Amino acid sequence: MNAPVDDRLAALRGSARRLPYSARSLAALENNPRCTLRALLDSSGSDKAAIAERAGFPSPFGQSTFALARGNAFEAMVKANGCAELLRVLRETLQLTLPEVGYTDLNDVGGDARPEIRAARTAHLLVRAALGQGDSTLYDHPMLRLIVGGHAVFLEPDLVAFRIGDRFHVVEIKSFPIIDGQAAPAQVRSATTQACAYVIALRAMLAQAGIGPQAVSDQIILVAPKDFTNRPTAAFVDARKQVATLTRQLDRIARIGDLVALLSDGLTFDLDPDSDDRPRRPAEELTSALDQVDTTYRPDCLNHCEMAFYCRSRARANMSLDVLGPAVREQLGGIDTTTMALGLARGQLVPADDQREMTTALRHAARLRAELGGAA
Amino acid sequence: MSMLSALAHLEAMESWQAIPLTEFRHRHLSARPLVIIPLTMAGEAGAPLAAMVGSARRQRTLLVVDQPRNRDQRFAFAAALGQIVMDYINSFRQDRRGDGDRSRYTDAPQILVPNPGGIKALADLGRMCRFRQTTGPYAVAEVVPEFGMWLTFLVDAAEEAGTSMLLPITGMLAEHWATGQSTLENQNLASLMAWIDPPSGVSVEQALADAENPDVCPPAGPTTSPQFDNRDLAPAIRRFDTANRLGDPQALADAESDLRDLVAEQVQPTWRMLWNAVALMRTVPEAPRAARRFERDCVSFTNYSDYQDSGPLPQRKRDAAVGAARRLGRQERALADYEADMAFDDPFVLADRRSVGEAFAGTVVEAEPGRVVTTDKNRRVPRPRIVVRTEDPLRLAPDTALISPSPTVPANHRARIVATVPDGAATLVTVEITSGMGRARVPTPGTVPEGGDRIAYLPDPGWRPTPVFPDADSMPWTHTAPPDQPDPDNAESDDAAEEWGHD
Repeated sequence: MNAPVDDRLAALRGSARRLPYSARSLAALENNPRCTLRALLDSSGSDKAAIAERAGFPSPFGQSTFALARGNAFEAMVKANGCAELLRVLRETLQLTLPEVGYTDLNDVGGDARPEIRAARTAHLLVRAALGQGDSTLYDHPMLRLIVGGHAVFLEPDLVAFRIGDRFHVVEIKSFPIIDGQAAPAQVRSATTQACAYVIALRAMLAQAGIGPQAVSDQIILVAPKDFTNRPTAAFVDARKQVATLTRQLDRIARIGDLVALLSDGLTFDLDPDSDDRPRRPAEELTSALDQVDTTYRPDCLNHCEMAFYCRSRARANMSLDVLGPAVREQLGGIDTTTMALGLARGQLVPADDQREMTTALRHAARLRAELGGAA
Repeated sequence: MSMLSALAHLEAMESWQAIPLTEFRHRHLSARPLVIIPLTMAGEAGAPLAAMVGSARRQRTLLVVDQPRNRDQRFAFAAALGQIVMDYINSFRQDRRGDGDRSRYTDAPQILVPNPGGIKALADLGRMCRFRQTTGPYAVAEVVPEFGMWLTFLVDAAEEAGTSMLLPITGMLAEHWATGQSTLENQNLASLMAWIDPPSGVSVEQALADAENPDVCPPAGPTTSPQFDNRDLAPAIRRFDTANRLGDPQALADAESDLRDLVAEQVQPTWRMLWNAVALMRTVPEAPRAARRFERDCVSFTNYSDYQDSGPLPQRKRDAAVGAARRLGRQERALADYEADMAFDDPFVLADRRSVGEAFAGTVVEAEPGRVVTTDKNRRVPRPRIVVRTEDPLRLAPDTALISPSPTVPANHRARIVATVPDGAATLVTVEITSGMGRARVPTPGTVPEGGDRIAYLPDPGWRPTPVFPDADSMPWTHTAPPDQPDPDNAESDDAAEEWGHD
């Protein structure tokens, strides 16, 4: 059944190159799994940033060169000299006993850096290690495959799979600081989500060789700068819950066919680029195509999804309560739009059965406001 | 969020204008606040890039770190900013009233930052500075550790509800106005101001679009926009580095002034907007009880200031068990008091609490003013009862202690709920009055509500004893700091020696 679905997804993407899942789209998967538009764009590998820009909502994401430079420099420092700094941290901070250490770089296979080849070599070496036949402890740049929506996606983690005892640990190197043992929760969360994808991919790879999931630990090792220095420190992060969440979400994508089936024929997000990669498709036509697909906007999307500004403007046009965020939304369970909530509060609309209680509360609140001299 | 606030947000969204949520401004606003707009460098851990600081709109100082990755420049910046802030703080350590333990300063400093991120930036700066040594290797200026300790004190104070010594202006605005956008977007000063006070002749919609465009409204910090970093800042810093390396004084001066101009362009819009916001907040009358909360600020300012004079130690990196319990107790207490104070002062907030059943108001339908009971100590005391009929969706359990903001009863009126009985769509609440009736056996006339009176009640946050904790030497080992914890004075020697950043 995959083939027609793939064709439909390819048609959605149109002439553009297929984009692989990135750390950001994986994070979006966990943050807003219910959004149909995001699911379609991500599974079809469409370029969300380009689409948003053409639709008139250029995405504000961009990385500062400073952040980029700092991230790269930190990672290079931690991995220099066969991961000398990393080992120091594992030994001193996490108090792990590492008798002998072998380091294997999987960056290319005899000069061949094609993903398929590297994935095969990674699989070969890691399976051997899992069976107790390898001599390495650290594996740098492994190439992993994750099945997302029926497609093999290559994940090239900037990380090391670290084997101690009988288990692999995923090591995630990040450049945000851990100050006095605490780091910004949002950043830890997004780092963990990425690492979870690697845990799942690693488990899937080992499963093919008949090795159980316990061979890969749920505990992720986060390596980040200590306080305000450049020296790394490390911490274990328990990712059990996020691994479970992401696994569930990935299973769900397998049913992307159900979503595709609901779309009208001929729907595409193709930008029709010219030879210089400039989009030629009229913005109105693109917007009307986007408008055909459901979105689940949440203010939180502004932090991670390229389409968020488009979705927000759509939610505003529909007077959706989503614009106001979960605090208001949860207070008004069962009501979707501002128009309806205010209509009920003012007695202009008749509540449905399940809205009765909410309507009483709304009208009471409206009365209180009227007493205060505010209009309601 | 209560139903009433939710409704205000809906109206704001429908009408494209901000809707007032409160009648009063519940935060004290100093006559001479110190505004600080901190900017940090993206990606680095708390590396300051610049700060604009001043206690009046026209009296501002811009401090810029030419190369934020350079450790010496960072601390030169910290010293310069520290000097300004300390001069400001010390200017409040003049007027002292009262004797002995009750002696305290009559005014307290107030630092305003644009958003919660600004507080985080100051917290990082405080943490970076407070453990520094002023002698030995890697010595820093005298003012740096003192500044660090004060910043940490202010950041800790800011975590307590109702305090006013360090505040994000977005928080103050959002407490008073409901907008048609989410809490997340309300943390953007420019978007918030677009709702509340759009530039004249500009629609809220247009003002909002401008607010999110970094070329029109540069972000209020602490991080600068990536476009600005890549397009302007990175080349400017490179020019500075090159000039520095070549040792060309003219080129160096040029590069420095270029950098200053660039950064000034980024912060000036926020500076203007922040002072507009301050002016706007001044037009809102201050809540009556804000003065009492400000007294508490003065007390804690005095206490910390005296501690600073007595050879202070920097605050711990992390609280030990007792410290953490104390802090939590303080914060819970402050929050409960603040919420009760607001509802007491402000009919809007009271209505807000009523809309979710945390308070109620209604008409007295029955009164038993002469009721007297005999206490356990065999004393006969007046315990009048009244029945209040309310249409609020009451959710308070029997035995809840109550206070009343109604003007018909004295301020020390105390009561408790005896029973609640539904009466059609309304509720009949039997309330027993427990105090605030004078000293005589018969209640002073006018202290007990009569039939037909309107009265409102809300839960009494009550009085809580100061928690008592065991002495340090009788603390069980489970609750002491681990013995291998290095002394806070030496803990940083490692970091101090570290060459920070790299090029």
